[in-house]
Amino acid sequence: MVIIIAAIAAFLIITLPPTPPPPAKVKLTVIGPWAGDEERYFRQVIDEYMKLRPNVELTYVILRAEDIAASLPAYLKAGKTPADVIITAWGWFIVDMAKNGHLVDLTPHINQADYVSGIFDPVKYDNKIWGAPFTMFLKPGFWYRKSFFQKYDLTEPKTWDEFLNLLNKIKGISGIKNPIVTGDGVGWPISDTVEHFLIAFGGPDIQNKLISGEVKFNDAAVKSIFENRLLPLLKNRYFSEPIEWTTAKDLWWNNQYALYFMGTWITGMVNNPNDLGFFTLPGTRGVVGGTDYIFVPKYSENVEEAIKFVRYLATDGQAKHASTPAGKIPTWTKASPDVIWGPVKTVYDKIVGAGMAILPDLDDSVGGDWQRLFWDQLKLLWVNPDKLNDVLNTLTAQHPAIKGT
Amino acid sequence: MKSDVRKNLIFFIPTFSFLALFVIYPIIYTFILSFESENVYTSNNYYKVLSESNPLLMLIAKNIGPSPPWGALLHNIVWVLIHAPVTIILSLVIAYIIKYYNIKGSSLIKALLFLGMVIPPVIAGFIIRFMFDENIGIIPKIMKLLSLDIILGIPELSKTWMNYPSLALFSLILGSIWLWLGFSITIISAGMEAIPKSHIEIAKVFGASPFKILFKVIVPELKPVILTVFILTILWDLKLFDIVYASTGGGPGGSSTVLALIMYQYFIHASRYGGYGMSATVAVILTLITLFPALIYIYRSLKRS
Repeated sequence: MVIIIAAIAAFLIITLPPTPPPPAKVKLTVIGPWAGDEERYFRQVIDEYMKLRPNVELTYVILRAEDIAASLPAYLKAGKTPADVIITAWGWFIVDMAKNGHLVDLTPHINQADYVSGIFDPVKYDNKIWGAPFTMFLKPGFWYRKSFFQKYDLTEPKTWDEFLNLLNKIKGISGIKNPIVTGDGVGWPISDTVEHFLIAFGGPDIQNKLISGEVKFNDAAVKSIFENRLLPLLKNRYFSEPIEWTTAKDLWWNNQYALYFMGTWITGMVNNPNDLGFFTLPGTRGVVGGTDYIFVPKYSENVEEAIKFVRYLATDGQAKHASTPAGKIPTWTKASPDVIWGPVKTVYDKIVGAGMAILPDLDDSVGGDWQRLFWDQLKLLWVNPDKLNDVLNTLTAQHPAIKGT
Repeated sequence: MKSDVRKNLIFFIPTFSFLALFVIYPIIYTFILSFESENVYTSNNYYKVLSESNPLLMLIAKNIGPSPPWGALLHNIVWVLIHAPVTIILSLVIAYIIKYYNIKGSSLIKALLFLGMVIPPVIAGFIIRFMFDENIGIIPKIMKLLSLDIILGIPELSKTWMNYPSLALFSLILGSIWLWLGFSITIISAGMEAIPKSHIEIAKVFGASPFKILFKVIVPELKPVILTVFILTILWDLKLFDIVYASTGGGPGGSSTVLALIMYQYFIHASRYGGYGMSATVAVILTLITLFPALIYIYRSLKRS
C-alpha cells in the first residue's frame, strides 16, 4: 500500500508542470536634472511606479539640462542612448533632436486635451509631440520670511511706489546688506527676475513676442522697462551683487537680505516653509511657469516599456510629484489641485485666483547659445548698469530670429 | 640587416596602429570636418568663426577696450603673457630659497605647492571661484584688510572678482598660477639639483649677492629646464578649459572666454550650426596655435638628445 501511494506521489511530482521562472525584470534608465532634496522627491515617484509595475526596475541618473545638451547629441548620432527616458526643461533641445530623427513620436500616447493650454508648444515639431509634459514650477515673484516682515512691520506692496517704499524701509534695517539678494548660477536666476519685470510692465504678451523675435530687446517699449524700473533699483543697490544661488538662499534665510526672487522649488529647500511668503510685482498679469519634458530616444532597447513609464509620469506621476515638497504643480488637468503640497498650493491659489497667465520661460524657449548669452549679458548689466545699450543691442543682434541660427 | 628592420617594424606596428586609430585619424577627420558646412566643403566656417560677434563665441573683439572682453584668442594670449613669466620667476625664487636657505619643512612646502597639480581641474575651477568670492574668498578679504581696493582706486578688488569683466580673466590667471606653480617648482628644483655646488660656492667666495647668484649663475645653467617649463606652460594655457567652464563659464559679458571653451560651445550646439564643422574649425585653429610651441619643444628635445 505504502509503495503504491509513494509511486502515485512520485508520478504526480514528475508529471506536474514545472513552475515557470519569474519573468526577468525590465530595466529602464531614467535621466533627470534633480539632485539632493529634489532627487529625493522624484525618487518617491519612481518608487510608486515600481510598486505599480513590479517587473520594472528603474535606475535614476542625474544630468543637468546643460549636460544633456552637451553629451546626448553625440550618443544619438551614433545610434546609441545613455537612457530610455530623459527629462529636461529645454523644449528647444527636444525639438532639435526630433528634427534629426532621434526621438520617439509621443503623439499617439498623450491626450493633449488633458493638459494646460500651450504646454505642448515648445515640444511640437511637424505637428507631432516629441516630449510629454511633467510637473511645472512657477517663478512667481519675491519670497520673504513672514517672521521677518512681522518683526519689522513690513507689508506686501500693492503699487510700484509701495514696492519702492518697502525696499527703502528694508534698506534702513540694521544688518541688511541689500533689500534683494541676487541669485547666480551661470546667470539664470537673474534672467528669471528680468522676465518678471518685463511681464509686469510690458504685459503678458511681451514674453511670447520676445521669444519669437517679434519684439526686440532694443525696442523702445522694452528698453523703457529696463531704464525706468530695473536700472534705478540696480543703481540704488536694492539688488545685491550676484551670489551663487544656494549660498544666496542661505544668506537670505539668515536675514542678511529680505527678498529673494526664485521659483517654487524654494519651498522644498527651506527649514520652515510655513514661514515663507511671496508677492508678485504690483500689477503683474502673468508669471513664468517652466515645465520639465520627458522624451524617449528611439535607440532605447525598451521603447514600449519606456513609453508606459512616460505615460505614467505625464499623468498619475505628476500628481504624486506635486504632492511632495518638490515645489511643483501638475500640468495634467485631471490631477486635482488638492494634491498639491501645502506651501505650493498657497502660491498656486494666489496666482490662479488673481487670474494671472502662466507664461513660458523666455530663455528656455529660445534656447541654444542665445540662452547662455542672455544669462551672461544680464549678469554684466547687474554689475555695470551703464552697459544697458550694449546689452540690449547684443541680445537683439544675437537672437536666433534675427541672426538666423 | 633586413631581418633586423623587419623585427623592428613588427614592434612598431602595435604602437602605430594605436596612434593611427586614436590620434592620427581624429586629427585628419577634424581637419576635413572643419571645412564641412551642411554637407558642403567650403572655408565658410573659418570666416564665420573668425568674424563672430557674439561675446561668448568671438575669437577677436571688433572694439578692443582697456578691459576684457577682447575675444577668446586674445584672452588666451594674455593668459600666456602673464602666466608663463610669473610662474617661472616665482618658481625660480621659491625653488632657490628652498634649496639654498635650508628652510625647515621644505619638503612639506613643496608638497603643499604641488597640491594644485593633483586637484582635478573642474574642482580647481570651483576653488578659484570661491577664493575670489566676496563672502567666503580669501583674496577679496586680503584686499579689504590691506585697503588695496581704496589705495589702488579699484573698489571691485574687495568684491567678487568674477562678477566684474575687468577682473574675471585676471582672477582666473592668478588661480592658474597657483595651480601650475607646484609642477613648475618641481621641475626647476630637479634642475637645480644638477648644478654643481662648487659653482655656487665660488660665486659666494667672490662676494656675489643671492640675487646675482640666482640670475647670473643659476638661471644660465637652468636655461634648458626653464625653456621646457616655459613651453609646457604655454601648451597648458592654450588648452585651458575646465577651470574656466567651472568658474565663470566665459563671462561676465564674455570677458573670460578661451578657445577651448568656444570649441565646446560650438560642439554642444552643433545641431544649430549645421553639424560639428564650426567646433572642428576652432579645434584646428587651436591646434595650429599650439603647434608652434610644441614644435619648438620637439626641436629642442631632439637637439639635446
